Amino acid sequence: MNALTFTLKTAIQQAVDCRLLTPNALQGKTIAQIQALMLTKTQKVADFFDVVGEDVTHIVFKNTNAQLSYIGHQMNQGTITVEGDCGDFLGSQMQGGTIICKGNAGERLGDSMRRGTILVEGDVGEYCASSMKAGTIGVLGKTGARLGYGMKRGTLLLAHRPIDQATWIDCGIHSLPFLELLFKSFALLDTQFSQLNGIRVQRWMGDVSGLGKAEILVLSP
Amino acid sequence: MQINGVQIDDTFAEAFNMRGTRVLITAQNLKWAYHAANAMTGFATSVIGCGVEAGIERELSMDETPDSRPGVSILMFAMGSKVLMQQLETRMGQCILTCPTAAAFSGIDSDDQISLGKHLRYFGDGYQISKLIQGKRYWRIPVMDGEFLTQETTGMVRAIGGGNFLVLGQSQPQVLAACEAAIEAMQKVPSVIMPFPGGVVRSGSKVGSKYPKMFASTNDAFCPTLKGVVNTELNMDIESVMEIVIDGLTFEDIALSMKVGIEAACSLGSQAGIKRISAGNYGGKLGQHHFKLHEILNGHLSGVAPT
Repeated sequence: MNALTFTLKTAIQQAVDCRLLTPNALQGKTIAQIQALMLTKTQKVADFFDVVGEDVTHIVFKNTNAQLSYIGHQMNQGTITVEGDCGDFLGSQMQGGTIICKGNAGERLGDSMRRGTILVEGDVGEYCASSMKAGTIGVLGKTGARLGYGMKRGTLLLAHRPIDQATWIDCGIHSLPFLELLFKSFALLDTQFSQLNGIRVQRWMGDVSGLGKAEILVLSP
Repeated sequence: MQINGVQIDDTFAEAFNMRGTRVLITAQNLKWAYHAANAMTGFATSVIGCGVEAGIERELSMDETPDSRPGVSILMFAMGSKVLMQQLETRMGQCILTCPTAAAFSGIDSDDQISLGKHLRYFGDGYQISKLIQGKRYWRIPVMDGEFLTQETTGMVRAIGGGNFLVLGQSQPQVLAACEAAIEAMQKVPSVIMPFPGGVVRSGSKVGSKYPKMFASTNDAFCPTLKGVVNTELNMDIESVMEIVIDGLTFEDIALSMKVGIEAACSLGSQAGIKRISAGNYGGKLGQHHFKLHEILNGHLSGVAPT
C-alpha cells in the first residue's frame, strides 16, 4: 500500500489547521471522504491538497510550508512524514506514533505531548516541547527561545547545545545505554536520525519551575 | 540396546509441567554479563529448596542483544507462575540491578507477561524514567554507575522440568568424565538448562524416608556402597552413579538434549568404564511427561511413540 500523500497545491498565505489529517482521525475513510473534509469554514481538503495513496497509517505531506499548523495533533498511532517545513503546534497533544519533519518546524512543537516520537531534521521555533508530559522529541537543527517551557517529563534530544536557561539544570556528560535502543529504532526510519550512533550526551534536567523530571540530551559531537 | 558397549536401559525419565521464562542479560563485556548471570542463576539447582531452577542457556553475540552489547541468555523454571514471578523479581533486584553495567531484556514472547523491571523501577525513588521504544516499555533507573536499563516485562511460557538420565560406571572419575562430555555437548542445544552444579547431580532422591518429616531421601537403589543391603539397581561392577537433570521449553528440546548427552557420554565407551545409562522415574504416576531412552536414541524426539 502507498502512503496517503497530501501535496499542497499552491503556496498558501494563511495558516491552515491540519489536525484532521492524522492516522487515527482518517482511519476507515475513503479518499473521497478525506477530500471532502472541511479544513476551514469554507474550504475542503481538496481545495488545498492533491490526495493520493491509501495507507492511512503512513501519511506524507509534500510541497509543504510554514502555514500548515497542528499537523499530527492528538495523533495516537502510525507515522506522519512532512517532506518540508511545517507550521506551529506540530504533534501537539500527541498520544503515540511517529512524526518526521524533514524541514523546519514552527513554534510549540510537541506542546503537551504525552507519548510518541517527533523527529525534526531542521530548526524548530520557540517554546519547543512546552508542557510536554512524556515521549521523545529530536531536533537536528537549532532550537528557539524558552525551550522545554513547563516541560514535565520526556526527552528532548538535540544535536546542538541550546542557550542556557535558569530552569534547566546541567547534570553533566554521560553514556546512556537506552540511546542504543532508541537509535536502533530510528535506524528503521527514513530520516537523517537513522545515522545517529554515539550514546554520549550532556544531560540537563528541568523545567524545575514545575515538576522538573524532563531531560534535554545534547549529543556529543 | 547398546552404544559403544554401554548398555541403555529400557526405561524412561519422568518429567513435570513447569512455568519458564528467558531473560537476556547484557553488560559492558562478557565477563560482567557472566558475573550478573551467574549470580542470577546461582542457588537455583532444584525447586525443592531454591524455588526455581535456573541456568545460563548460551552466550549471545553483540548483534543478538537489544542494546548491541555482549550478553548471555538465562532460562528460569518454577512449578508455578507465582513462584516464578516472585523469584524473578527478587533475583533481578539482588543480582542484575546490583551488577555494574548489567542490563536485562525479555528473551521470550508470550501473551503471559511477568514483571522484569516493572516493580524494580521504584528503586529510582521518583527519578526513574520510562521509555516506550517500538512498542516495548523500558525503565531507566539512576544508579551509582550511571543508568540501569531494564525492560518492563518478559514472557512466561509453559515448560517442562525434570528430564534426566543416569550414567553408571566403574569409578567416580570415569563417570564424572562421561558426564562432563555429556554436558559439553548438551550446552550446544538451545532452550534447555542443566541446573545442578556443573550440570551434574550426585544425590539422586527417592520419594519418602524412614524419618516421618522427610519427604525425600537418598536413592538407595542407586547408591553403590549399599549394593549388598538394599534392593539395588546396580550390577556388582558399578562403583559410581551420576545424574544429569534437564529443564527445557518443550518436550523436543529436552529429548534432543538427552540424545546428544547420552551419545556424548557413551562415546567414551565401556573401555573407559562407562557401563550403563538409565533414567529416573517414579513409576510413571507422578509426571506428565515420559522420556523413553530407546525411543529418543532412535531419533523419535516428539514424545509420540512411532507406529
